[in-house]
Amino acid sequence: MADHALAIHAVHDPNLGNTGLDNRKVGMWIFLGSDCMFFGSLIGTYLSYKGKSLGGPGPHDVFNIPLTSYSAALLLASSLFMVLALARLHERRIKAAAFWLFATAVFGLHFVLNQVYEFTTFALHEGLTLSTNLFGSSFFVLTGFHGAHVTGGVIWLTILMVLALRGRLDERDYTKVEIAGLYWHFVDIVWIAIFTIVYLIP
Amino acid sequence: MADSHATAHQPPDDLAHAGASARVKTYINVAVALAILTAIEVASLYTPGIPNALLVTALLVMSVLKFFLVVGYFMHLKEDSNIMRALFVGPLIIAILIILALMALFSAYILLPHTVL
Repeated sequence: MADHALAIHAVHDPNLGNTGLDNRKVGMWIFLGSDCMFFGSLIGTYLSYKGKSLGGPGPHDVFNIPLTSYSAALLLASSLFMVLALARLHERRIKAAAFWLFATAVFGLHFVLNQVYEFTTFALHEGLTLSTNLFGSSFFVLTGFHGAHVTGGVIWLTILMVLALRGRLDERDYTKVEIAGLYWHFVDIVWIAIFTIVYLIP
Repeated sequence: MADSHATAHQPPDDLAHAGASARVKTYINVAVALAILTAIEVASLYTPGIPNALLVTALLVMSVLKFFLVVGYFMHLKEDSNIMRALFVGPLIIAILIILALMALFSAYILLPHTVL
């Protein structure tokens, strides 16, 4: 009787929809699609305002390309760490998965701290704030929202790491970690676009 | 209950059958490719004599390559279902159209020198 009940539960997994796909994963892809349009609007606004500020400072007066390149490398490396965490979880090596989740979160936190340093330098030393000119407002809104996404991801990854260390996350929770990974990689691809469009294109 | 949980949330079959080490090797190869592309991007910015249109085009092409490497391999969209692909690529196309529409509205053409505007 108990086996029959278990079999029914397994067949009727509440997370599986009519398509046979995991609803949580479908939900995350829908969210990422909507976030694509959100960042598309912000990037479009930045490009539309580019070069149209009446007063300075402009992008090339303030940008620190070596620092931003370092930040880009941090996020790219953290994406690798994220897939390594998922691979270790798949192999049932929970402690190793927790380590890679920790490394991902630390690199993400480092990225956020770099951004805090960049923003404060712009505001305190270069005189660029949200209300200085069109470049300031479009730049801070775009990169600020991205930074908020990274901060959310760092919190999410830290929670997963703590759960893993407490024995409350294992290979059965693969989909939960995979969804967090999708979010993290999305944050990475948004930065790939911002890095090129905002920082590198002259 | 724990058993049913295990049955319901097994990792995807395609991943289960793939060798773990082969998978990790692919991830590392992709990460190396991303690092090389980023290095080329930054180096091209400091290389004198590259025409503006060529530089912008090269930067955008490398950025798109990096984008699809992460989406295809790290986010596994390459081997995911068509529904997942459509859920992401559809809004991505709309996002690109939003960017182009805004740029057209404000006469912002990044491939052209500012004097042409």
